[in-house]
Amino acid sequence: MNKLNNLPKKKILSLFMTCGFPNLSQSKKIFQEMLSHQPNIIEFGLPFSDPMADGPIIQESSKIALKSKLSTKHSLNLIRSLKKERSNTAFVIMCYLNTIQKFGVKKFTNEIKNIVDGIIIVDLPFEEETSIKKLLDKSNIHLIKLISPMTNKKRSQRLLKDAKGFVYYISATGITGSNKLDYSEINKNVSSLKKQTKTPILVGFGIKSRKDVLAINSKTQADGIIIGSALIKKYFEENMNFKKYLVSLNKFIKQVKI
Amino acid sequence: MKKYNEPNNLGRFGDYGGMYVSETLMPLLIDLDQSYQKIQKDKKFQKELSDLFKNYVGRPSSLHHAKNLSAYINGPKVYFKRDELNHTGAHKINNCLGQILLAKKMGKTRIIAETGAGQHGVATATVCALFGLPCHIYMGSKDIERQKPNVFRMKLLGANIIPVESGSKSLKDAMNEALRDWIKNVRDTFYIIGSTAGPHPYPKMVRDFQSVIGKEAREQFLKVEKKLPDFLIACVGGGSNAMGLFYPFLNDKKVNIIGVEAAGKGPKTNQTAATMTSGTPGILHGSFSYVLQDNDGQIKEAHSISAGLDYPGVGPEHSYLKDIKRAKYYGVTDKEALSAFQLCSKLEGIIPALEPSHALAYLVKTFKNKQKGKTIILNLCGRGDKDLFTAAKAIGFDADE
Repeated sequence: MNKLNNLPKKKILSLFMTCGFPNLSQSKKIFQEMLSHQPNIIEFGLPFSDPMADGPIIQESSKIALKSKLSTKHSLNLIRSLKKERSNTAFVIMCYLNTIQKFGVKKFTNEIKNIVDGIIIVDLPFEEETSIKKLLDKSNIHLIKLISPMTNKKRSQRLLKDAKGFVYYISATGITGSNKLDYSEINKNVSSLKKQTKTPILVGFGIKSRKDVLAINSKTQADGIIIGSALIKKYFEENMNFKKYLVSLNKFIKQVKI
Repeated sequence: MKKYNEPNNLGRFGDYGGMYVSETLMPLLIDLDQSYQKIQKDKKFQKELSDLFKNYVGRPSSLHHAKNLSAYINGPKVYFKRDELNHTGAHKINNCLGQILLAKKMGKTRIIAETGAGQHGVATATVCALFGLPCHIYMGSKDIERQKPNVFRMKLLGANIIPVESGSKSLKDAMNEALRDWIKNVRDTFYIIGSTAGPHPYPKMVRDFQSVIGKEAREQFLKVEKKLPDFLIACVGGGSNAMGLFYPFLNDKKVNIIGVEAAGKGPKTNQTAATMTSGTPGILHGSFSYVLQDNDGQIKEAHSISAGLDYPGVGPEHSYLKDIKRAKYYGVTDKEALSAFQLCSKLEGIIPALEPSHALAYLVKTFKNKQKGKTIILNLCGRGDKDLFTAAKAIGFDADE
């Protein structure tokens, strides 16, 4: 059963966190804290040395994770150890293609089968996805589509034709953790996408407060939101004090869960 | 064998190349590809470019018979394709002029670029000054330190230089930051990539703009020697000067093609930039090609004395040419390049950049007392002014005021 097929109709919450950040054992505690809030989705970021679509905060978290000698295998084992059958939270991996390619696409798919419900491969556009998608489909893992404000209607129609799980709408033409959010533009684009697909549309990139979450919910037709950088940023705001970070993370997730 | 006709319309050179970027950039790359196809057939565009080549760059660059060096190696007859005589001192300007004309055509109003040695940065800043467009150059802080003369040049030309502190603080990281800038500013910005790397259509487009080198060299060589050369030699970082020279000769099966990579402190050490001799296929900066990476696919830091070759990736077309064995690739160490740098200066009265010094080193070491009667064209793609401080330090000469 793919848990992404049972997402609620509205107010979907997806939380992103870099695997192995700041190190493997603390990372597990962070994910456990996140899971305790029962978000609809957790996105596990696999750290990459050259995350060209990520902003400074996720870059830094990847760098710290990699410095602790984290391997792909470590990350996958961590994800497996967090899996609970009775939980409703869907598991999604977010990564760059080279990580999967080097691990071996087939081997990677086998490793995550029955554990992960979806995967976002940041640098794998529609044009290049065919062979990987076939393998994922066989294992009932949804390849999540990304749509940006630059994607025109003709292209989005092609992209959304076989969208499954959810659609990741990149809310700003920017990198993760960017500043500006233009609600009327988001609404215009999301409304147009809603007409093209029944798959839930989640808005990501640049959401950092309860205010943002409420605004996306009331001012746009989006079905939910994705928060990443803002969760990681707390770690640095707490001066890398892990205990304080867990408290602050708990408080923040409560705020954004509407 | 069939006529060489790479890449296909998805930017594939065999399996290599492609477009591995986020959805924010995809529509832009498709747009860029279509605009590029249009200008290839646009006579006005081509005329404007060739006028600039002639009157602004000083093309054609000469083909110089390096008699003293030829006598020294006592092997083949060596010709230098002298792209170091170009305005701005390297081949980089060829590509920048092509791309900025395209940017103008596409109505873009802001230019960004990455630079390693600073040659591409200087060339980009130059064409931005010429066309009155704001210019932002991403440069690793390590490269800013070792290429100070070029940093000053770019500033004089009105460019804004953005130091990059992430990763190895060199070319790879500058390219990451430039890509991030582009993702953020897709609507008005044109990214002038300086090498045959990056996502499609860049590897093809940069090769095409640089192929003026090979076209001229072929014509010039035929004129003086009444035949084709036996060997072509060029240095390869990302690979733009090499592709520029090689491309017009790819169908000439008798011409042997050699690319020389920077092996830093040695190809078996961890301090190398010899991607094709020490790397494996992977995905970096939007294309599938050889890269220096660990078992987990994390990209390794490259090392070379030459900032222009200090890159853990290589253009996808080189990877393809290597695999189909149309070209051969070898590594040359910092030390070997440094002695060729001095040798060429003394023998030919030409101070080469550290990048082509790698090609020169390979030439001297491989052809000494061998292959007499054969002919070689070596692409002297840049001059050494920018490297004087680095070289002086490495040689042990006090060049401070």
